[in-house]
Amino acid sequence: MTFLPLLFAVYVEGDDRDLASRLKRHEPEALAELYDRYGRLAYSLIYRVVHDVGVAEDLVQETFLRVWNRSQGFDVERGALGPWLLAVARNRAIDYLRSACGRMSRSSLELAETEHPAAFANFETEVLSQDQARRVRTALDRLNENQRHVIELAYFEGLSQTEMAERMGQPLGTVKTWVRTALKNLREDLGQKAATA
Amino acid sequence: MNCDELREQYELYVLGVLDEPERAEIDEHLRRQGDPCIAGVRRAREVMGSLALAAPESHPSARLRKRITGLVGEEQRGWNWAAIWIAATACLALVAVWLGMERRDQARTLTQVQLEMQGKSAELLRLNEAFALMNDPTARQLVFGEGAPKPSRGRVFVSPGQGVLLVASNLPPAPPGKIYEMWVIPKGGKPVPAGLFQSAPDGTAMYLRKGAVDVATTGMIAVTLEPEAGSPQPTTTPIIVAAL
Repeated sequence: MTFLPLLFAVYVEGDDRDLASRLKRHEPEALAELYDRYGRLAYSLIYRVVHDVGVAEDLVQETFLRVWNRSQGFDVERGALGPWLLAVARNRAIDYLRSACGRMSRSSLELAETEHPAAFANFETEVLSQDQARRVRTALDRLNENQRHVIELAYFEGLSQTEMAERMGQPLGTVKTWVRTALKNLREDLGQKAATA
Repeated sequence: MNCDELREQYELYVLGVLDEPERAEIDEHLRRQGDPCIAGVRRAREVMGSLALAAPESHPSARLRKRITGLVGEEQRGWNWAAIWIAATACLALVAVWLGMERRDQARTLTQVQLEMQGKSAELLRLNEAFALMNDPTARQLVFGEGAPKPSRGRVFVSPGQGVLLVASNLPPAPPGKIYEMWVIPKGGKPVPAGLFQSAPDGTAMYLRKGAVDVATTGMIAVTLEPEAGSPQPTTTPIIVAAL
């Protein structure tokens, strides 16, 4: 699989806090603004996972509706709206993929726990900025092929290390090493740089 | 497992792909340890969240936005307002144009009616005055042109109190630049101008010269063809002569 790091021009116009406040008040215009701000990014992420235009659009719709319905639990002052929405989008796509592939041993409840709005509070950096997009590209380019592959399988296909080992026909220990090394490198490149950004 | 061992699993944990029993261990660990490890999970969520930026750029269809905003009524409401605004503006414009045209037509019609009414009123007034003069018992009736179809023939009524009325037929309209002029000619005196008039296209004419007339001193009533501005004295041979 080839990584084509995308430098999304995530142009955050206005204040996400104001937008989140209006979402919590269920102002219909706020949903339109949220889509204008993050719709393309959410669609690109979901399409990357499901590779089907119709399914991707259905899942994007489901994503925004879920955010709309759960916005009451979002912390306006400390929450990170974009990362939360993208986590919801990824989970919808992974959930669909697991269902379509018959991999229902991993429940959607498990994914739902990872997208609780309260979990996206106190982010130290703007994780969707253009600078961060460049750092992601650089960090992924620095990984070797196996390391990038396992990160992709985890992020874009939702595979566990056991499932990766089966898919790649590699010993579980080898896959765990690749994953551990890849995550360590990403943590160093993105976490530390992001923290100092 | 201790904090350091679990820390390496945080990224897989936040992605929801961690195998058991590690996932359950982290759940339990976070409940037990609290903030320090929660901060580690938050940092892992930041790092993993930015991987969305690695997805190749794709563009959803334009209708997707309508679908999504339509779920909460925003699209319909926006469309309705716009449609109402456009429809209202269009209707107002049409009504304004229609009213403008209608008003202009009504004004034109009203002017025509007023002009016709003025004409009719003047004609009616003239006829009333003519009938009043003809019914004046003191008026004298003079006949001219009798027995001869040409020149014109008709009658002249001379009322001492009301004036002179000429009723003629077979009097063709005066040619361009010319007009008929009536004269009151005293016995043994010079003709006195008594007004200008024109006959109708069918050759009929009715002309009333209002004002007192001294019948005793008047010798005749005559009509000549004169320049359209009129003349102080006749310049042509009289077409009509009615002697008192």
